[in-house]
Amino acid sequence: MKRTVVPFGPQHPVLPEPLVLDLILEDEKVLDAIPTIGYIHRGLEMMVERVEYTEMGFVVERICGICSFMHGMGYCVSLETIMNIEIPERAAWLRLIWAEISRIQSHLLWLGLGADAFGFENLFMHCWRMREQILDIFEKTTGGRIIHSVNRIGGVKRDMSDTELAAILVQLQDLGKQFKKTANVFGTDPSIAHRLGGVGVLSMEDARAVDCVGPMARASGIATDTRLIGANYYDRIELEPVVETAGDCLARVVVRMREIDQSIDIIRQAIDKMPKGEGMPLETKPRGNPMGEVFTRLEQPRGEVLYYVKANGTKNLERFRARTPTFANIPAMIKLVKGCELADVPNIILTIDPCISCTER
Amino acid sequence: MDSASFLARVGDYHKAGWRLALINVTTVIAAPAPPHGAAAEPAAPATDAPTADAAPASQAASVFEIAWAFAKDREFETIREQITVGDAVPSISEFFGAAFLYENEIRELFGINVTGIGLDLQGQLYKTVTKVPFSHQAIKARLAATAAAAAAASAASAAAAEKKA
Repeated sequence: MKRTVVPFGPQHPVLPEPLVLDLILEDEKVLDAIPTIGYIHRGLEMMVERVEYTEMGFVVERICGICSFMHGMGYCVSLETIMNIEIPERAAWLRLIWAEISRIQSHLLWLGLGADAFGFENLFMHCWRMREQILDIFEKTTGGRIIHSVNRIGGVKRDMSDTELAAILVQLQDLGKQFKKTANVFGTDPSIAHRLGGVGVLSMEDARAVDCVGPMARASGIATDTRLIGANYYDRIELEPVVETAGDCLARVVVRMREIDQSIDIIRQAIDKMPKGEGMPLETKPRGNPMGEVFTRLEQPRGEVLYYVKANGTKNLERFRARTPTFANIPAMIKLVKGCELADVPNIILTIDPCISCTER
Repeated sequence: MDSASFLARVGDYHKAGWRLALINVTTVIAAPAPPHGAAAEPAAPATDAPTADAAPASQAASVFEIAWAFAKDREFETIREQITVGDAVPSISEFFGAAFLYENEIRELFGINVTGIGLDLQGQLYKTVTKVPFSHQAIKARLAATAAAAAAASAASAAAAEKKA
């Protein structure tokens, strides 16, 4: 049979960011997919050559507009490890709370995009309506809706009062109740089950073979979650990875929906356990220039992110590298696309929750 | 580097169920000595943040440091190699299918000759204005340009202050 090459992207209705897959088709079946990225490669890692390490965190935050808080946090944690800085306890708890709020925000955003991709615009609007509430919390507590800039090497810049934290928890628990209705639609609507169920199945063996991370791996039955290594106060939280076993597009939706509830519970635990009071220290000032190297792992909403930082005792780092979860999940995406129907390609691509800005830096 | 022993070590990680977490390259550029007393003590390994193996930071010209990082639950380990420009590095695609993306990247951005990549993207992964932007020559040229710009700005500032005085 004659083969046809269909370029998918860089502009496509389901892609918020540019990515190209050259799809090699036989009739409607995809035989192979060749990826090309690089449309938004900004060379942010190169900027360590001229941006001092104290300011580089602001650049790192701008790797991605969705994970900006956790990128900033990962950079600061890396430098704190190299410089042997112990941050104040309240600052660590605040970081954990903001990180989990980021996860809720990211998952709601993705669920909306996913719904839009399979043609359920009403669900898209509900998910994004709820996401607005999260952005309002960010705006109120950090001053920014997308770029927050509250992380500092040695702690955080802003505090949240105990009453503010209590109000945020009530707001999040209320959002959780609202979300249950939306989650019920995702879970019971027959058109969604028809569109996503049994589509893009990644078995546990295949998921291991391509080293995928985050919800992508957990939807295939792998109980992996970088938060379980216990760093950044996650060892003080009761946490079980959210695992599904079907490995299809629907399972990846369900994992993210369940993780929204999980994050609300983690925030509840954090508010319960953190030291209370006003005017507590939030920052330990770094002294001198960093010297050494470190790998730092965090669990971003899309999965494990890995930072490598190497410092040589000057104001400029020698190397900064961020390996983002989408980068780790692209091989899985290519594996899933091979053998599927052309009409399923958009949903399969979207269910890895691709962030090309993160991938290219 | 000894390709056979390197691949044997990678194969051991694969057999033991480790996951490829990252292939990272650092272009080693001889850095100026830090000002006296300005450098912090080297970082102590943190319990929860996996600290890299202590690799000697070579100051030799035209050297790349490559780290293949593997993760397994809480554990995190690296294989380190130093290569000089032009050395061939074997692909680990036969063990870790996801390696092709890292290997295409380091070939395009660092100019490292990786042989036997599982999915060879023929230099089409990234679209960069500067070809091989992390080569020694490219980095040195940028550092020189940055230093020259800083010197010019400093001279202009000093001249303005002198004129004002």
